[in-house]
Amino acid sequence: MLELNRLVKRYGEVQALDECSFRVERGRMLGFLGPNGAGKTTAMRSVFNLVRLDEGSVCWRGEPVGQTERMRFGYMPEQRGLYPKMRVGRQLAYLGRTHGMTKGQATVATDRWLEELGLSDRSNDPLEKLSHGNQQRVQLAAALIHEPQLLVLDEPFSGLDLFGVETMGNVLRARAAAGAAVVFSSHQLDMVEDLCQDVAIINRGRVVMAGEVRQLKNDSPYWVIELEMRATDSDSLRELDSVVSVEFNGYRHRVVARKGGDLSDLVARLDLGGNVRHFTFSAPSLSELFREAVTR
Amino acid sequence: MTSWQAIRLIMGREVRERSRSGPFIVSVVMTLLFVAAILFLPLIFADDDVHYQLGVVGEGNQAVIDAALALANHPGREVTTSVEVIPFASRDAAEKAADREEVDGVLMDGREIVVRGAGGEAGNALEALLQRGARSVQIENLVASGAEEVVSILTSAPLGVRSLSGADPDDNQERSLIAFGGLFLLYMAVLLYGSLILTGVTEEKTNRVVEVLLSAFEPWQLLAGKILGIGLLGLSQFVGTVVIAMVGIELTAAVDLPEVPVDSMLMLLLWFILGYSLFAVMFGAAGALVSRAEDAQTVVAPISLVAVAGFFIAIQAVNNPTSTLSVVTTFIPVTAPFVAPVRFAFQAVPIWQLGVSVAVMMLTIVVMTRLAGRIYLGGLLRFGSKVGVREAFRSAEL
Repeated sequence: MLELNRLVKRYGEVQALDECSFRVERGRMLGFLGPNGAGKTTAMRSVFNLVRLDEGSVCWRGEPVGQTERMRFGYMPEQRGLYPKMRVGRQLAYLGRTHGMTKGQATVATDRWLEELGLSDRSNDPLEKLSHGNQQRVQLAAALIHEPQLLVLDEPFSGLDLFGVETMGNVLRARAAAGAAVVFSSHQLDMVEDLCQDVAIINRGRVVMAGEVRQLKNDSPYWVIELEMRATDSDSLRELDSVVSVEFNGYRHRVVARKGGDLSDLVARLDLGGNVRHFTFSAPSLSELFREAVTR
Repeated sequence: MTSWQAIRLIMGREVRERSRSGPFIVSVVMTLLFVAAILFLPLIFADDDVHYQLGVVGEGNQAVIDAALALANHPGREVTTSVEVIPFASRDAAEKAADREEVDGVLMDGREIVVRGAGGEAGNALEALLQRGARSVQIENLVASGAEEVVSILTSAPLGVRSLSGADPDDNQERSLIAFGGLFLLYMAVLLYGSLILTGVTEEKTNRVVEVLLSAFEPWQLLAGKILGIGLLGLSQFVGTVVIAMVGIELTAAVDLPEVPVDSMLMLLLWFILGYSLFAVMFGAAGALVSRAEDAQTVVAPISLVAVAGFFIAIQAVNNPTSTLSVVTTFIPVTAPFVAPVRFAFQAVPIWQLGVSVAVMMLTIVVMTRLAGRIYLGGLLRFGSKVGVREAFRSAEL
């Protein structure tokens, strides 16, 4: 289990991390969310000692993370990069060895990963000769070559096409199923909702919401009601105390209402005389939780 | 993984990937061609033996020619000079022959030399040869002693030389050679391999692989591995070139190799390692401050300038190894690698100065490696514009 405990990092006037804390459990995937500049990259880098923290600690299985622990971690930085002129096979084997594998282990793992990613025939090509998509695959293999117990990926899905996204998603699921702790940052909230059991949402260097997605949804003080009515006027709904917001997307009304309010009030306001064609009642989506968390 | 294992891994990659890269192979081939050119060009353009065709008119010529040849071919000279004597009946006939380049010059009655207007090298050399011969004949006549004695006087150094520092004065030429040669090699190595480190670091930053590497290694391990790898490659290239040059010299006997004092050689190697390490660390830290190769030149300018200054101070030290400037710069880490071996070559540096200098140097290297590691981490993860040293330093504060 990875634990970030009250991390603080200042760059001059800028407070990049402000007592940032969350944990990533083994065998589970955590989506690390936050607006641009919220401190995601700084927090992820701190796991690898790439940031000298002003305060706080990063622990793996209760112990502070050192070089020995990091040997068993895999990292995919936001800024992708490998040696462009180094051959793909040699490069992966080298990166395996940098994480403590023997020469033999690294060679076997390289062959296996190239096979799995469909790049076996490119092993002897310099990386720069590969297409952008294939270079991304090699980058993924570089983070996974040593079968890390913790995977930290900074925006792993950005710049991938549909197939790349699928491959990435499957590989990450497989790693989590094999018992690794997986954490990745993303702006694609649907994908996070699809893949992750847990999320942590960071804003201005502080984790403002963290936990199991299902639980967070249940715990949300809001309901979301989706309505499709013949009449487009929903202004009357706004007058209700329990209603937080009403949005109309030209097709459906999306009503966010506080839990605990009397739903019958709301229903009474609806002109049910054959006008309502669609009525759903659900927990908020991750996007709504996110918006709620970062605007609070 | 221990630090040493990490460093060895990084070092191994540097050596393997660089030794198979195009630029490196080109540089090896160029160096070998250069060595070959130095060894073989003199063989092609210069024939060892000098031969003149000399016209003679009148009497008293042979004595001059004999004396000249005795001087030119005295024992210890490797080049053999020979003169073919072509007698002419009259001045006119001889001068015409010289004009038509049938002879290199004409000696008249042992008193006058006639050469073509523009005699060139051969003409001048012939004149000098005969002048010396004539001078020898004059002395012989004056002292009425044997020709052999005169030759030995004219070709030896009559005054013995004793050096107060206890150095063997006969070594001076060799010592000058090793001081100059060593200084030049050191200077080349520092700038050449230093710039390799600079571009290597900048490249890793430009192609962003550095963040992946730093996720597993400490910055100082990365820097040390790179410096050792490139240093090893440079040293083996250097030693290989020297060995090939030695073998070539043995085979062709093109150059008269002086006996190089072993202590000077070892001292040069020591300062080679110390000097390379210090400058490599500085170049590495400089490389971490820039993201683009274009910016690299501006950050290395101060370092290169220091190396150039050290080089010129050391040249000054060749002529004046005990001057105040030479002594002071022996203790300054950035100039010591250039100045100290030169002074040592002339045995003009007391042992305590040398000891202090090496100690200061080692201390500086240790301190600089730590500082550079910090600058390295602070600079490496900042992409885009150039990073200031202070800024890099602060952002990596512990």
